[in-house]
Amino acid sequence: MTDLRDPRKTFGEALVAVGEKNDRVVALSADSSSGSGMSPFHDRFPERHFEFGIMEQGIAGISAGMASTGKIPFFVAIAPFVTSRPFEMVRNDMGYMRQNVKVVGRCGGMTYADLGPTHQSLEDVAIVRTIPGFTVVNPGCPIEIVKATHAITDHVGPVYMRLGGPKMPVLFDEDYDFQLGKGVTMQDGKDVTLVGTGTVLSKAHAAAAILEKKGISVRLINIHTIKPLDKELLIKAARETKAIVTVEEHYIAGGLGSAIAEVLVEVCPVRMKMIGVDDQFASNGPYEELLGLYGLQAEQIAETVEAFLA
Amino acid sequence: MQTLSEDDKRFLERKALAARKNVLRLITAGGAGHVGGALSIIDTITALYFKVMRVDPQNPQDPNRDRFILSAGHKCLAIYSVLAEAGFFQKDLLDTYGQINSKLPGHPDMHKIPGVESNTGALGHGLSIGVGMALGLAMDKRADGPKVYVAMGDGELAEGSNWEAAAAASHHKLDNLMVFADRNGLQISGDTVDVMSYEPLEDRWAAFGWSVRTIDGHDMHTIVETITSMPFEKGKPSCVILNTIKAKGLSFAEGKASYHYWKATPEELEMARKDLAAIEERLAQ
Ligand SMILES: Cc1ncc(C[n+]2csc(CCOP(=O)(O)OP(=O)(O)O)c2C)c(N)n1
Ligand SMILES: [Mg+2]
Repeated sequence: MTDLRDPRKTFGEALVAVGEKNDRVVALSADSSSGSGMSPFHDRFPERHFEFGIMEQGIAGISAGMASTGKIPFFVAIAPFVTSRPFEMVRNDMGYMRQNVKVVGRCGGMTYADLGPTHQSLEDVAIVRTIPGFTVVNPGCPIEIVKATHAITDHVGPVYMRLGGPKMPVLFDEDYDFQLGKGVTMQDGKDVTLVGTGTVLSKAHAAAAILEKKGISVRLINIHTIKPLDKELLIKAARETKAIVTVEEHYIAGGLGSAIAEVLVEVCPVRMKMIGVDDQFASNGPYEELLGLYGLQAEQIAETVEAFLA
Repeated sequence: MQTLSEDDKRFLERKALAARKNVLRLITAGGAGHVGGALSIIDTITALYFKVMRVDPQNPQDPNRDRFILSAGHKCLAIYSVLAEAGFFQKDLLDTYGQINSKLPGHPDMHKIPGVESNTGALGHGLSIGVGMALGLAMDKRADGPKVYVAMGDGELAEGSNWEAAAAASHHKLDNLMVFADRNGLQISGDTVDVMSYEPLEDRWAAFGWSVRTIDGHDMHTIVETITSMPFEKGKPSCVILNTIKAKGLSFAEGKASYHYWKATPEELEMARKDLAAIEERLAQ
């Protein structure tokens, strides 16, 4: 049986753990703390949890101000409301001011499948990665969420971490070595490189297994840190496999595929295929079906890769 | 509350004059700048740095320092001038204004010069940052902990994000925080009450849970007495509404919206020098 875990609960427990380790960690929320998994932190450290109600622009600036006094603020809420809504505050007050704030967007991508585009976030990675000095992390399994939460607490500088909502399968062992900015080769192969990230890493993982059965040798890479990107690993993969397919629950414009293309087109141009949502507001409906509308289910990914190689 | 002696008052007026001369030096170097709003707030900033705030130019990162945030970052000529006068950096730097890679951009950058606490320029950010600083400093529960001061323009108050921050400050009872609303009555397009009125400012700030006082923003006695009465009420943030004159000190520009941003002609620069010389003469008496 696959071990499925709730990303928000997982993050919430990790937040308590980093709070225990480091008393400078504080949490800020926008009328969504329990939904963001922050109740355990609130119960453990009530004096270090600050509720502001629904004012994400205000909280973005407030987080930066707190960071300037030596605190390590975690600003956690629904992904679009910590990225596109307060974008200028994230850009200027955290990025330009180089403040040590951890922005966590939960229920990213199409998690809010039924609620529609206002609550979905398919551009967050694209916009935040334009900000100089920001680190953008997109964990692909619960173990990675825990490791990433510790790593971004230790890292000095502004970070955006994107979380999904639906339960995620465990893909890594507890002793898995997670390093910010370092991609992970999950499986070696020579015909094609499949690069996955975040919520759909597990889909890419399953697609690789389908393709292997069909005799296609797939190199599977997990890019949990989209900025700074592990260029070396990706250039090597391009050189050795000559074809790259990217998989992300994000717009094709500006996301993981786009970031990789920006590097490869200059250094080692190879054929690429980017799987993600194209230029449209996503639809609504059950989450897994919605992923299917945009070709993000494992069988669809495998078919796309096959067609691409044909 | 601190009451100024006549000598102290004269000292601060001379410092404010020196700061105004620095503004002119910056404009002379760069050819242009946001002079109007700089000269309406400069007396308050002078009082802060020379009489009120706990700051040390030799140790600008002291964790126990008071913080000043110029939310209306376009008024940067004022903060550059006062910081230079207070010894945070060499005055020669003023002559680089407008040059490529100058450490004094048209809106302040905290990583370029010591003494600047935040990168402002996009109006409507400074108060949130100030609320965060006040909250972070209050958490440390130091006796006589640092205070946070935020200066805003009256036109700037139309930005909605300010009012998020204003609500957060009173909700979290930040009585180590003070706002200056520089009511010079003007913004780019004309009179603030015509462009987008937030009057009566006193009632609006009070409704957001702040303790409010309105003063003459060019009178050093009142400025120092008022600031040092912080908090006006225990458990509440303090708001000072400064009645000021835009471009104060330059006779030909005072109260004129067109001097929001000044592209100085040689004739105007000469007039400005004469205006400041006249103030100097008066202060020498
Ligand atoms: C978000 C934002 N919008 C527009 C501007 C352009 N701008 C610079 S100054 C200014 C007018 C400011 O008026 P006020 O706050 O009254 O300042 P003061 O009169 O003291 O110069 C405007 C619109 C800006 N800097 N930031
Ligand atoms: Mg004004």
